[in-house]
Amino acid sequence: MTASTTPANPPDWGFPTEFEDLSGEVAIVGVGEADPSKASGRTTHAIAAQAVERAIADAGLRPEDVDGVIYSGGLGDQFDAAAFHAHFGTNHSLFASSEGGGMAWAATAPVVAARAIRERKASCLVNVFSVAWATQRANMVGGPGEFHAKQRFKANLEMPFGWFPQPVYFATIARRHMLEFGTKPEQLGAIAVSCRRHANLTPGAVMHDKKLTLEDYLSRPMLVDPLRVEDCCLISDGGGAYVMTSSERARDLAKPPIVVAGVGEGQSGSGSYWSQQRDFTATPQVFSAPGAFAMANLSPHDVDVLTLYDPFTIAALMQIEDMGFCAKGDGGAFVEGSALDFDGGVLPYNTHGGMLSHAYVLGIAHVVEVVRQLRGEAAAQVKDARVGVYGGYTGQHASTLVLRRDA
Amino acid sequence: MSAAHFLPDTNWEPTAEFWAGAAQGELRIPRCRECGTYNWYPPKTCHHCGSPQLRWEAVSGRGTLFSWAVVRHVFVKAFEEEVPYVTGLVALEEDPAVRIVTRIVDCLPEEVGADMRVEAVFRPLVFSGSEKSVVVPWFRPATV
Ligand SMILES: [Zn+2]
Repeated sequence: MTASTTPANPPDWGFPTEFEDLSGEVAIVGVGEADPSKASGRTTHAIAAQAVERAIADAGLRPEDVDGVIYSGGLGDQFDAAAFHAHFGTNHSLFASSEGGGMAWAATAPVVAARAIRERKASCLVNVFSVAWATQRANMVGGPGEFHAKQRFKANLEMPFGWFPQPVYFATIARRHMLEFGTKPEQLGAIAVSCRRHANLTPGAVMHDKKLTLEDYLSRPMLVDPLRVEDCCLISDGGGAYVMTSSERARDLAKPPIVVAGVGEGQSGSGSYWSQQRDFTATPQVFSAPGAFAMANLSPHDVDVLTLYDPFTIAALMQIEDMGFCAKGDGGAFVEGSALDFDGGVLPYNTHGGMLSHAYVLGIAHVVEVVRQLRGEAAAQVKDARVGVYGGYTGQHASTLVLRRDA
Repeated sequence: MSAAHFLPDTNWEPTAEFWAGAAQGELRIPRCRECGTYNWYPPKTCHHCGSPQLRWEAVSGRGTLFSWAVVRHVFVKAFEEEVPYVTGLVALEEDPAVRIVTRIVDCLPEEVGADMRVEAVFRPLVFSGSEKSVVVPWFRPATV
């Protein structure tokens, strides 16, 4: 397996972030999800507060026990220290970092926590993320498209040609993947079908009541050829949070500690300009995953359950390849059939339904799901799951979080 | 987003020369005077050698279709009358590493194929309900 994670000629179209070894230092001790939904009228703060409350309660802690809050500095009105105090009516000293939240940061927030704990700035930290994009879309503000429209090379060199928004980028990437590697529609469909099956088993998943077979998938019209609606993520209101502390202290808490075994991060040299990424059919997981697995002293072979930030089926397929679960280009054949199913698949994947079928809460629910899997608490529970991985992806960044249950 | 959002800002300095070229029926790309590398998107310094000596040069306007998507859904109102349309990336003949985002025109979506040879054609981009127009490089199947 090392052969596929460390190619002889490492690609040079991006680069990894160098993290110090923090394997085993921190553990996730509490997780919480806000109720995911379609447009709900809730604010991001109200959604985040519900997730944080649940995560703290899950850890068997009180709000006063949390002395650090990690949130997203890049995505709107997030749950910062002031929001924490306002919600819980507390006034104790709170370490705060805006280097967390969802997406790629849902994997790297444990680095922030490990450093804060090492430097004695905090001892127990919550990473939180929420979105109200379904509500905001109904009001025609916010949403993923608005973020990209603000980038001026996109506005000047892409949008005039109708190469916008994200489904168009990923349809173009999927086409190229098909041309280069022979990837087939039914292989992309297999990803969507496994995710839906998992959502059907997961209470609260937005698509819980809607079944999807491969035949259904193939009969759906093209949205942006070669992608169908079912290849694209939902737009949702929702959020999640997880509480971290030192592995030592974690042993005394309510739930079995889920240890942060490895963290990685990689970046594309072309930023978020997908059109110009030299390796058009790859993700920066190429740069992120090897470091995370090395830190964890584990390999893709050891992974019992995988969750990936999955805005589109093709984004998941490429990450599966780029993280070393199969050779580059073999992703289509690898995911075919029931390969990704929680019960008997070769790689149980997005066992809550992912962003395609659970909710588009930008990866935070993926980490919550991995923790539940490793505790044995998941709805679509993978038997004897001991090692779980979350892969984050924004286009520009990818990140990898390797979690492990020891006891 | 209104139609105006989808017209380029031809005065924005980093891409002004691209649009000035298009207005004159030329596809222009920044090229390094030190090492000859074409640079896209326009950077401040050459991505190959780091030189700040970049000069916009006209290229042939010929290339091959690298990849494409057929947009069948109205994601944005400005393109409502255009669907279905083909948008994608053309690899330049001078340097296939340079990928131009464009529209493929003068053929049906079903006629578009991998590595199809294409050539630039310059036409005004107009959206209904907007008086402004900008000449843009679209690509069509190569005629020679
Ligand atoms: Zn140069």
